[in-house]
Amino acid sequence: MRFVEEFRDAELGRALAAEILSLVEPGRHYKIMEVCGGHTHSIYKYGVDDLLPANVELVHGPGCPVCVIPMGRVDDGIALARRQEVIFTCFGDMMRVPGSNGSLLDAKAAGADVRMVYSPLDALRLAKQNRDREVIFFAIGFETTAPSTALTLKRARAEGVRNFSCMCSHVTIVPPVRALLESPDLRLDGFIGPGHVCTVVGARPFEFIPVDYGRPVVIAGFEPLDILQAIAMILRQLRDGRCCVENEYTRVVPYEGNPRALQVMAEVFELRAHFEWRGLGFISHSGLRLTEAYADLDAERRFEVPGVRVADPKACQCGEVLKGVIKPWECKVFGTACTPERPIGTCMVSSEGACAAYYNFGRFARERAVV
Amino acid sequence: MSETTVCDSKHCVTCADEGVPMTVVRVDPERALALCERGGGARASVEIALVEPVAPGEVLLVHAGTAIARLGAPGASPAGRAG
Repeated sequence: MRFVEEFRDAELGRALAAEILSLVEPGRHYKIMEVCGGHTHSIYKYGVDDLLPANVELVHGPGCPVCVIPMGRVDDGIALARRQEVIFTCFGDMMRVPGSNGSLLDAKAAGADVRMVYSPLDALRLAKQNRDREVIFFAIGFETTAPSTALTLKRARAEGVRNFSCMCSHVTIVPPVRALLESPDLRLDGFIGPGHVCTVVGARPFEFIPVDYGRPVVIAGFEPLDILQAIAMILRQLRDGRCCVENEYTRVVPYEGNPRALQVMAEVFELRAHFEWRGLGFISHSGLRLTEAYADLDAERRFEVPGVRVADPKACQCGEVLKGVIKPWECKVFGTACTPERPIGTCMVSSEGACAAYYNFGRFARERAVV
Repeated sequence: MSETTVCDSKHCVTCADEGVPMTVVRVDPERALALCERGGGARASVEIALVEPVAPGEVLLVHAGTAIARLGAPGASPAGRAG
């Protein structure tokens, strides 16, 4: 397929690895954060990590939408799913995220009508096919996914589908990145920017990172060559003493993003004053909810939800993993009590979660082959 | 990008911030939908409101059933890209 195979070329990959090696100063340790869970997954799927010098460390950021959903939010979803009249729909990974008393998958096993969908549009289709039921879509994801939900809500309105609503848990990426930069226990040298979020929001929202915090950002695609190229570009900025936002993913990301997507989001969503992130706590203006104009499609206003805050399990160190303070294998329960089959923490649920990526691709320890 | 086409117990296309390149086969401009095909031949109906107008043969980046970008802007070759 065009735009895929050519970005997996092994020879170009080796050339980029050699270039990266030539760009690092011996004796200096580089910490580069990939913000997006999709990057984390690609890094381990393709072994990008193995092509890097030992003094270039990749730190995995909070950009997996499943991993940042707090337990109380899962409980709210389960409470809705248990209602007799409800068909509760969500993306695949969300079904396995543990709440305080089981997951949506457990609720399904106990009789709740929980169904996995691939897109919000599939959920709307279910509503049209089941007019005597209430279909709720559990909307999660960053700015990449939010326009899809917004378009579906507009479509539901236009088509007069009254038995469809949305439990909105969409989040925005900039506030948690800013929170990480303010964190005193984390020293980062640069960021691999989230390519598909930037397809929607553009590169401009990330300019604060070089301007306010003096760190380079390179927006990258998700193929192995994209990631290697982005790392080389960050290292080149550091070597040259430059600091700016660069776009490696020009085949997809316009600097200004997708204005139509931004417009439809602005029409349907507004920022919540606060939103709780798993492991990161409450972050101001980091979550989205439906505007007053779409209140009738808001499941949280249409139905009663518990809305109770639930503390993370004590054994779970997802918060520290999400902040990049520890590596997944440094967590006390990694690979023992917490596995993808029986996850305790959300980072082990989604294959884009750092813990699941490490577990699934056999990264159980610190040692790795050094080029 | 993953070869996986749907969410399952091991992978979630949607949650991954993943974009799947798909080729437009047929367009229904009235409903802002297009029938698109991915590398392996699987077809799906895709929301095109954010990228229209599109024509058959164009490659779109699809996330959660919605085309969020058009592929093929300048810089689409892996060779010669430099910071």
